[in-house]
Amino acid sequence: MTAATRAPSAARPRPAARRPGLPTLRLLRLELRHNAMAWLLPVVFALFWLVTYRKTMAMPPLWNVRAASLQTGIVADFAVPVTGAAAWMGSREARRRITDQVMITARSRWERLLVTWAATAIWAMLAYLGCLAAGYGVTAHQASGGGPLWWPAAVAAACVLLFCAVGFVAGAFLPSRFTAPLVAIAAFFVLALSTEPIHGSQSSWQVSPIVTGPWDAGVQAGVATFYPFQPDLSIAQVMFLAGLTVALLGVLALPAGSVGRALRAVAASCTVAGLLAAGTAVGLTGTGSMDAQGMLDIPALHDAAGDRPLAFTPVCGRTAIPVCLNPAYAAYLPATASALAPLLGELAGLPGAPARIVQEPVAYQQATGNSVALQLPRPAVSGPPVLPLVLPDQLGQPAMTAAQQANQVVTTYGPDLVADVIGDGHGASQAQNAVATGLMMAAGLRRLDVYQLPAGHAIPGRQPPTAPGGPDASRSPDVAPGTPAYAAAERFAALPSAVRHAWLGQHLAALRAGQLTLAQLP
Amino acid sequence: MPRENEGAVITRARLIWLYAVGRRVPVAVLVMVACAAGLRIALLWHWDTYGALQLPLIFETAAAVSIVATTADPFGEPERVAGRWLPFLRLAATVALTAAAVALLAAAGTGGHLAGGTLDVLRNVAGITGLGLLGAAVLGAGLSWTGPTGYLIAAVYALYTQWHPPALSTPWLWPARPPHDLGGATCAALVFAAGLVVITVRGARFRAGDAD
Repeated sequence: MTAATRAPSAARPRPAARRPGLPTLRLLRLELRHNAMAWLLPVVFALFWLVTYRKTMAMPPLWNVRAASLQTGIVADFAVPVTGAAAWMGSREARRRITDQVMITARSRWERLLVTWAATAIWAMLAYLGCLAAGYGVTAHQASGGGPLWWPAAVAAACVLLFCAVGFVAGAFLPSRFTAPLVAIAAFFVLALSTEPIHGSQSSWQVSPIVTGPWDAGVQAGVATFYPFQPDLSIAQVMFLAGLTVALLGVLALPAGSVGRALRAVAASCTVAGLLAAGTAVGLTGTGSMDAQGMLDIPALHDAAGDRPLAFTPVCGRTAIPVCLNPAYAAYLPATASALAPLLGELAGLPGAPARIVQEPVAYQQATGNSVALQLPRPAVSGPPVLPLVLPDQLGQPAMTAAQQANQVVTTYGPDLVADVIGDGHGASQAQNAVATGLMMAAGLRRLDVYQLPAGHAIPGRQPPTAPGGPDASRSPDVAPGTPAYAAAERFAALPSAVRHAWLGQHLAALRAGQLTLAQLP
Repeated sequence: MPRENEGAVITRARLIWLYAVGRRVPVAVLVMVACAAGLRIALLWHWDTYGALQLPLIFETAAAVSIVATTADPFGEPERVAGRWLPFLRLAATVALTAAAVALLAAAGTGGHLAGGTLDVLRNVAGITGLGLLGAAVLGAGLSWTGPTGYLIAAVYALYTQWHPPALSTPWLWPARPPHDLGGATCAALVFAAGLVVITVRGARFRAGDAD
């Protein structure tokens, strides 16, 4: 007996070394394999392609435009499937009537639910990153200036996580066959509704994740091109979305039995902190206002260094008078320069002609109500004569091709360029009007077919035409087909370019002074 | 009425009631009433063009998914084998709920500025319900909402493109077509008929956990 009792006892098997977090990772792996969100990826991708990708890729290849469109589009596309899938996963234990079974497992209810939420969020984020990669990847190939804007991407990512949290909490607290579809539709409803109360640039409602800038201004091509992107609004949005997400995840721990007392206190603190963060973000957004660069400045989040214009070397065309654009708009340069080349060839070197035509930004100003006023740049008073150019894209007009833009530039700026040189306009002589018309004809432009700027916009110091595409009666009323002035214009246009240019060089001063008659024109 | 006939009527009524309760039909009706009330309240608001066109569609889709949710079968194979009246009950319940949804939403729009009017409501609710019924047959009733809700996003975008060309004008996106458009109405009717036939004959695909 003694010997037996003294015999060395069999060595107790040593417990396997526990790696903290490993069981949780295994649980996460299981949840990833059995997650409804994975089955909804085709729906997400189909919606992204139909609603967002096609529209965004048809926009100009400008980072700010594409990033804003992707943010808005992805938020709208993901709202329904992600919220619905998360609600479906959140209600799983109750739907399968296994609440009591899993209650006795080693993991607390909160931990289990968080892992399921995380798996849903991972699938949703993978889908989001795929969509973002497609949008940004194609844009990187097409864009000629600037770089990816990551703040709008962060807003959309935070929003996807919030959709997961909203759906999951709804599913966990209201498990029913009706929960997933109704909470998904409700999420979309709230999202669509969130822009309705926005009035002016100081609205707190702009914290909505489908807003990418001052709501009234819409997506402007000129924003964040000449000046750095201001992330003020995006920061507030991320703060709002992350705050709500944390608050909702904390709420999961609040029911009795979900977790121990200490952790429940932590979860309650998270909920309160999240709500405070979200509330602060809403308040901060309400203090913002639209700046002259068309972005929302929130004083508490604003970095004044971002107000300085970006330094860039313009890209210039090889025309007689160089046409220079911001490198981000380089894709428009060949068409614009080519369209302006005939006219610039006629005017180059003449007194009053600009030395260069340079693209400039427009200035934004909040007008009364929900409208936004755009102010066009004025020519520099001193230095070499430079004509500031604004592309139609910068005026918030519908997307158009480079050729359409170039055509609008010519019809907008052509008459003014000629008028600056010839002195055409109110009080001009018939000879001036005829020469101006002749130059336009020679440049391949129909003199009377003048493009009208949108309402409220005007080239500084000049009157806009009276009707779109109609005759500019204010400028050359005498030059109509059949009149002597028109015949003189045709005669002038028929001259060889060198002869026309030489004649203008000799007689321009007299022509501008109104000393020449129609009979004295060549 | 002879006592035997009276008993048969009571039995049938009880069968219908049990079927309705088992499929959560009363809850679906409550959801539809809530949708109608929501639409009525929304119509009192002043909306821009987007809101005026898109809001009714959102409520119509919510009503449609609540109809589709009632296709979830709590008993599975035993009921399918034993319940010979089941196809008729499925058909009657779906048609009755669709009619109720259309009636409630149309009533909610009476006197308000309901974009598209009653014809629009009829076409949209029927078509989107049809999509959900087809989804229920393929995916199970639990995930049948994915079709109608995904379609909602596509349809809202199609409405948006009416102002921002190029417009999506296929009749398969019928909510973006005018109420009297024959193509849109035909597509919606075809989808509803297909969904109705499939759900009547086969029922929703049975999946554990769909029916709570």
